[in-house]
Amino acid sequence: MDICYKFSKESFLDFFKLMQSFGQVHAPVRVSEQSFSFRPVEKPEQIAFEALRTILPPKKMFFPQRETLISYSGKEVKDHTPEPLAQVLFGVHPCDLAGLGIMDNIFSAGPPDSHYLARRQATLVVGLSCMPDKHCFCNSMGTDFPHSAYDIFLTDIGEDYYLQIATTLGEKLFDPKPDFIKTIDDQDNQSYKDFWTNRDKAFTSNFKSDNLKQIFDLEKDNPVWEELGKRCLSCGNCTPVCPTCYCFDVIDVASLDGNSGSREREWDSCQFTGFAKVSGDFNFRPGPVDRLKFWYRHKLHGFDDSYGLKTCVGCGRCTVSCPADIDDIVGVVLRLQASQNESKKDESA
Amino acid sequence: MKALNSGFVPIKGTLRSIVPMAQDNYLFQISVEDGSLSGCQPGQFIMLWIPGVGEAAISVCSGQVDGTLELCVRKVGRVTSALFQLEEGSFVGLRGPFGHGFPLDEYKGKDLCLIAGGLGVAPIRSLWQYVLAHRENYGKIILIYGMRHSIDLLFRQELRVLLRRHDIDVYIAAEEIVGPDLPPVPEQLGRVTDMIKLAPIDQNFQVAVCGPPVMYQYVIEELLAKNVRQSDIWLSLERHMKCGMGKCGHCFVGGKFACQEGPVFSLLELNLLPEVIECHRK
Repeated sequence: MDICYKFSKESFLDFFKLMQSFGQVHAPVRVSEQSFSFRPVEKPEQIAFEALRTILPPKKMFFPQRETLISYSGKEVKDHTPEPLAQVLFGVHPCDLAGLGIMDNIFSAGPPDSHYLARRQATLVVGLSCMPDKHCFCNSMGTDFPHSAYDIFLTDIGEDYYLQIATTLGEKLFDPKPDFIKTIDDQDNQSYKDFWTNRDKAFTSNFKSDNLKQIFDLEKDNPVWEELGKRCLSCGNCTPVCPTCYCFDVIDVASLDGNSGSREREWDSCQFTGFAKVSGDFNFRPGPVDRLKFWYRHKLHGFDDSYGLKTCVGCGRCTVSCPADIDDIVGVVLRLQASQNESKKDESA
Repeated sequence: MKALNSGFVPIKGTLRSIVPMAQDNYLFQISVEDGSLSGCQPGQFIMLWIPGVGEAAISVCSGQVDGTLELCVRKVGRVTSALFQLEEGSFVGLRGPFGHGFPLDEYKGKDLCLIAGGLGVAPIRSLWQYVLAHRENYGKIILIYGMRHSIDLLFRQELRVLLRRHDIDVYIAAEEIVGPDLPPVPEQLGRVTDMIKLAPIDQNFQVAVCGPPVMYQYVIEELLAKNVRQSDIWLSLERHMKCGMGKCGHCFVGGKFACQEGPVFSLLELNLLPEVIECHRK
């Protein structure tokens, strides 16, 4: 059970200073007319509170687009696991929190990933409520409410923020309790409840997601895949913008002296031709149809076998960033479900 | 304070010997400084690192690994080409062993058929070395090894020794005889599937398969025709791999990471997964 307080929006500066006392604050910043990005900020005025989806999801804070894993000089190899650096990630919406939760799972499972975890464990995550636009479908994926991966969560209840503290890290920040933090009463709890109820009504789409595994298995040969695959440019835009796409490549970067260098990890995409190619030029997913279907299946049918997770969080980033207009997850799911319903009708007729 | 060490730091290895076996196929013996590879099981793989070039996933082909291990490598890509340029005494990095190899416990007390196509003989060799070293634990053992050209035969000397043993039935055939003859076996010309037809395999056999991706569907058909159960057919899958730790996503097959849950899977496990057997050259 979270510890709950509230504070007035007018005292946001006090809250901001408190975050700064923990470490460098990163928050959504407007970077163009339509786009936002998580950037380091020094004062509250820089924060774009209205930001819905940033261009890149918060995974970039812990799993950067490119990083050095090890370096070498002759036979000497040096581990580049980063030193934990206290920082604050502010303004993470419920879908992105769900995404972080999935990334946390993947990077801690099996042999844990020290590079990701060192950064992640030293970061205070402050969530922030939001109102959906027409591309949001977190309500369908069950990621529309903060469940995990946050230390502190703020819900906009009008003149105040309703403050939830979920972890020891978050609790310590408010010890001793600062003056601007107020206790909550029944009215605040009602406002909190009203906010989430109204937010739920604001979604324009809603699909049933508990049968996705079954739908993806049964509709694996649905014509929709050929149709979308033919339009796919294999540009890979859908993967860096996805809060849960974590695939990477590891490459050697040799210095000119021929004796030293480093091994670097960088984001990769399952939409690129060579992603699943093995020696002898055998490719398990040679065409855009295979690769697109793989991506959809991975996101919505999920890691049911490996991690037991669906990895789509309904943020809508792929939908808005696909140049071919084919990452319409809501549309595809509805089509597949409609085909299933048709098949059922045919059988009963 | 660092929370963890990176799983990307390799162990230091030294190339002890390099033995040419067939055109572009060498056997490399590598010694490692610490004993960290000694638990390596037949069918597991390691990531071999050539500094400045990159890493490649390579099956271990020795049945027992203590201070040294053997890798049978074909020169096909960037990393393997660089490996072929190294000399004895050179430094290489190793990570692993990774994944699940052949299910040795499952095989205990049962008849075994080992099927290798081409370079797939490398992990199969680790398995025959292991089971022959623990011969009393197994029933009948059949080895089937096919290749395109007879000149590509690997482990020629070792196979001659196996052919003289009475506790293992060896079938070797090539699709075409090019260069030196195969060791003296009854049927020299044919495919892996032809040998499966000839061999006395029945529903009591556990079968281990490794070969080029295109081979699998034909081998599976023949084995099923011999009433081998799907849960008794064990396939070692080749996949592109970058980390070995279930993270980089390249080896993802259906719902599983080949590097962690494989590379050896039973056919039953793989049955409903897409993209497992079918594959295209492009």
